[in-house]
Amino acid sequence: MSKNTIIKIAGLILMLVSFIAFVAKAPAFPIESEKLLPWSVWFLIAVLINMVVWGIVMKLMTFALSIIWFFALIAAWVPSTAIGTGTVTELDWSDPDAVVEIGESIFNTKGQCSACHTLDTSAPKGRCPDLTDIGVLAATRQPGLDAKQYLIESLYEPSKYLVPGYGSIMPEIWKNPIALTKVEIQAVIAFLQSQGGEIDSEPFDEPIDRADVGTTAEELAPLLSGDLEKGKQVFIDAACISCHVVQGLENPKAGEVNEDFEVVTAPELTDIAALNSMRYIEESILLPNALIVAGYGTVKVKANGITYEGTLVSEDTDKVIVRTKDADGTEQEHTILFSDFDEEPIDEEDIVNLIDNGYFTLTITPMESDTSISGDIVKETTDTVTLKVGEETVTVSKTEVKKMMTLTDFDGVRTVGEHISGTMDDDEIVLMIDGSEESFDPFDIEEAIIMVASGKKLHDTSPMPVNFPDTLTVVEMANLLAYLSTLTGVTTEETSDTTSENPSEETAE
Amino acid sequence: MSCCASHTFKRIYLILALVLLGFVLFSVLPAFAQDMTDEEYRPFPLIGSRNAAWIAAQLHLLFGSFILGVPMFAVIIEFIGWKTKEERYDRMAYEFIKLCMGAFSTTALLGGVLVFVLVWCYPKVLSKLSGIFGPTMIFYVILFFGETFTLYIYYYGWDKMKGRFKWVHLFLGVLLNIWGTAIMFVSNTWLTYQTSPATQFRKLSDSTKEKLTDFNKEEMVAEMLAHDPELTSAEAAAKVDATVISLHDETTGEFLGTVWDAINNFTWMPVNIHRLIGNIAFGGSIVAAYAAFRFLVAKSKEDKAHYDWMGYNGNFIALIGLIPLPFAGYWLGKEIYDFNNTMGINMMGSLFSWLFILQAVMIGVLFIGANYYLWSGMGRIKGAEIYARYRPYMITVIVICVAIWMTPRTLSKISSASELSAMGGSNHPHLGFFGLMTAKNTVVNIVILTTFLSFLFYRRSGKTPIVGWKGVGNILISAIFFLGVVVIVVIGIVGFTVETNVRVNVLTPWQVLVALGVMVVVTILDIIMYRKATMSGTINWGQMTDRSQYVLILLAITFTSLMGLMGYARSGLREGWHIFGVMKDTSVDAFTPSLSSAVNMVSIIMVIFFALVGFIFWLGLWGDKKKQAAVPVEAEATAESDA
Repeated sequence: MSKNTIIKIAGLILMLVSFIAFVAKAPAFPIESEKLLPWSVWFLIAVLINMVVWGIVMKLMTFALSIIWFFALIAAWVPSTAIGTGTVTELDWSDPDAVVEIGESIFNTKGQCSACHTLDTSAPKGRCPDLTDIGVLAATRQPGLDAKQYLIESLYEPSKYLVPGYGSIMPEIWKNPIALTKVEIQAVIAFLQSQGGEIDSEPFDEPIDRADVGTTAEELAPLLSGDLEKGKQVFIDAACISCHVVQGLENPKAGEVNEDFEVVTAPELTDIAALNSMRYIEESILLPNALIVAGYGTVKVKANGITYEGTLVSEDTDKVIVRTKDADGTEQEHTILFSDFDEEPIDEEDIVNLIDNGYFTLTITPMESDTSISGDIVKETTDTVTLKVGEETVTVSKTEVKKMMTLTDFDGVRTVGEHISGTMDDDEIVLMIDGSEESFDPFDIEEAIIMVASGKKLHDTSPMPVNFPDTLTVVEMANLLAYLSTLTGVTTEETSDTTSENPSEETAE
Repeated sequence: MSCCASHTFKRIYLILALVLLGFVLFSVLPAFAQDMTDEEYRPFPLIGSRNAAWIAAQLHLLFGSFILGVPMFAVIIEFIGWKTKEERYDRMAYEFIKLCMGAFSTTALLGGVLVFVLVWCYPKVLSKLSGIFGPTMIFYVILFFGETFTLYIYYYGWDKMKGRFKWVHLFLGVLLNIWGTAIMFVSNTWLTYQTSPATQFRKLSDSTKEKLTDFNKEEMVAEMLAHDPELTSAEAAAKVDATVISLHDETTGEFLGTVWDAINNFTWMPVNIHRLIGNIAFGGSIVAAYAAFRFLVAKSKEDKAHYDWMGYNGNFIALIGLIPLPFAGYWLGKEIYDFNNTMGINMMGSLFSWLFILQAVMIGVLFIGANYYLWSGMGRIKGAEIYARYRPYMITVIVICVAIWMTPRTLSKISSASELSAMGGSNHPHLGFFGLMTAKNTVVNIVILTTFLSFLFYRRSGKTPIVGWKGVGNILISAIFFLGVVVIVVIGIVGFTVETNVRVNVLTPWQVLVALGVMVVVTILDIIMYRKATMSGTINWGQMTDRSQYVLILLAITFTSLMGLMGYARSGLREGWHIFGVMKDTSVDAFTPSLSSAVNMVSIIMVIFFALVGFIFWLGLWGDKKKQAAVPVEAEATAESDA
């Protein structure tokens, strides 16, 4: 056999081997194995040999394969991830590490979480908050919520608690098209808890109705069918511009005094559409209190007998800062510790939704007990509430409780006891105090409040008018939304991936 | 003897087709042996169901695209040959159709394999689709028979209908294209429906509109008018008409529309047009590659000249298809955004954003390759040397433009934190603005104009105008080019400063119009200027470098890669759904493969495709050799007989 023939055969074998390696998904680039060159290098050698030693047909075949190889190399070089959509039906909690691994996989693929969230504090700021140590930090985000409860609520209702500086762009992952199952969300929560925290395998109730899962984003299209120029005019006429700044849009009535409403500092909307979904924007107009951007809500805090009413500037694990304005317009910031908050009475109506009403601690007396239980609210269902009392958690009924009454006489002296009978309209009020019944004459009482529990609360409301559903027509609303949808930030920042009107002309098939 | 060669060809091909079908059947025998219960999925042995369907569908589509694209320009070339009475055109058209004949059987065979794979592996999906599209499937079969019979008559009647029946033959060619286009339109309904099972209210059939009890157009229009007196009735009606209507009950998944509603879904017509144009480009490129192959193996000067000319025409046709293709793609992308915003964002900005960078690489290769081929082609024309001095500038412009087109913009969604840190952020600190669409739109138009300039130089090569105003004409044409590019660049710069909708709806169309305007006006001026030009040199067909032929093969492979890649994008957009939002994929393959895995799969399919194409080409070559060998023998026998 001649030397030339041997080289030809060697070239063919090299090509064959490299092609098999390619099919077997061996690392293409860069070199990952020290023992065996990646198929790309084998292939390059084969191409060089074949192009030199073979005849025209073999040269053409080699050339064709090298082009295919070139494109495959680029594809292997750029970052890409497989997106799983298979459904995890069961978790083996006897092996928490395996559950965490499943959760991580869902986080990076099917759940598409890693598209926006990072797990590296050194990484540039992403679209959504970095989740390093979220297993611990989650417990500090909302007063009264432990880490798991916070994660549950954030995953099911992403707009419920927004981290300051981030918009409401996270989709509801339990709905289409992501459509994670409860089991999958459990795994993701376990993965998130593993980021610095402890994994809790206790099952939880989903705070949503899965029957809504059929709702798709298609409903959004009619919202954006408005005329954006008219929408811009609505934005001016409806006085949105008085409080909300949009870069490049001037307020024609700037400086004028408007007696119809108070001009307050409201979030800038220059890039509102880039940071939030249109559903969120629509909700914010129609229901301003549904979600309040941190730093823009109005609160009424009672602490040490003083009532502070103003803007909630910030909130952390043990205190809040409230900015109040005096009659002369002087602003003052007050730092108020949660421990200094006064307990406020909770009636039968408020106890149904404690967390939604802003309560983060609760004092309650179960029907069968003579002593009250006090603690931080950890979890709440329709009928029960879980409190953290010391190091223990206690779940008590919200319906089987003793009604308490607080009586305040004209000297300001308060008496609290279990309510037995009577109101201010009756001849006497009877309370059980320290095991014995005592009667009070309503004539001597200034105020009598019946309550089923008491607790500390922090509930902010939006200063934005709530009457837009009545004052804006359907068409004006559509026009306004169409205009707001164009506010994607400074125009030089617009990208092909954030604009709905921006399909690329590169799309070619 | 030519008859014998043809029979041998067919016999071999039939045997091979049967062997292939037998192999497929044999490989799935174990699967047949399983319990034939009412399963949603059945596994395909060895390679898995998804891969099996992917390979069969992609190969079927590639061959289908070829056999639908080639007859379109073959019949036009035949018509030119008939009118100009130049036999070489007729010969080339015949040769094109001959290539189709080999590919036609393969297409049908692969279509059968695809149906078989779908029926076996995805019975519920096919059941659901056939439940909606049943009538179209019957129509498809009728069209297929029409296509088959027409093709056979068209091919075998080529010589018999020469002369006074040529117009009948041409009519058959047109009919063949009508059948083919209709077949594609019908099959597109099924796959586009999987992606976008919804339509706009205005497109709905009356019976479906009646079923929408919660959607009363008159009431909605009246409500709009009552709330907004400035709105005209027509505007209000247009807004209501544009409302997206899902054709399935959101909770039960029940199909609510008619067959026509399902056919006329969001992406159907854009995909139809995109594929129609794409087929021409793909067909042209494959024909050019075939010609390049024949050129490289040709021994005689005549053959080299013929296949050089054929390759030139194939490439010209491919470019004619390539230039409008991005605009059709733009329409398709817009319809996807209109159907579902999330899907659109996933396509351009999230899951598939890197894919579009790879696409830019491929389109860059196409433009650079096409220009190189034109410049090489000028080497065969005496007097073309004067344009050589412009080449370095032109290639510089094209390379810079392609580099800008390939610039990624937002990487945060798919890059790891460490990668982002290494890059200094999700956008490049200095070059990041090149990743914006306004920059990309600008360079695309400049690349197209530069390619057009190459055409212009090619057209002018070897000719000297005799008009007295040739100097002024050249200055005028240069000024138009210069002004056009300046306007395009200025519009591009303005694009950075305006709102997105202004750029998308006003500036980008103006850029395209300016580019098209420059091409049209310059073409008209150039035609007038060179109308009676003297020829200073002739085109020496066959005097082409081997390198230029490799470029034609490069273009064909890149076209094929691009089709495979974008097929992955189109299908992948559904993510975990067989029918988006309606029928969930619960199989083991219910995941969207990574770009790398997808390109690997496309590469494997391409190897199979080109192996089959190469085989068909080789058979054609073999048949021709036998035919050529037979001619002297026959001539000798005739001479002996005469004697």
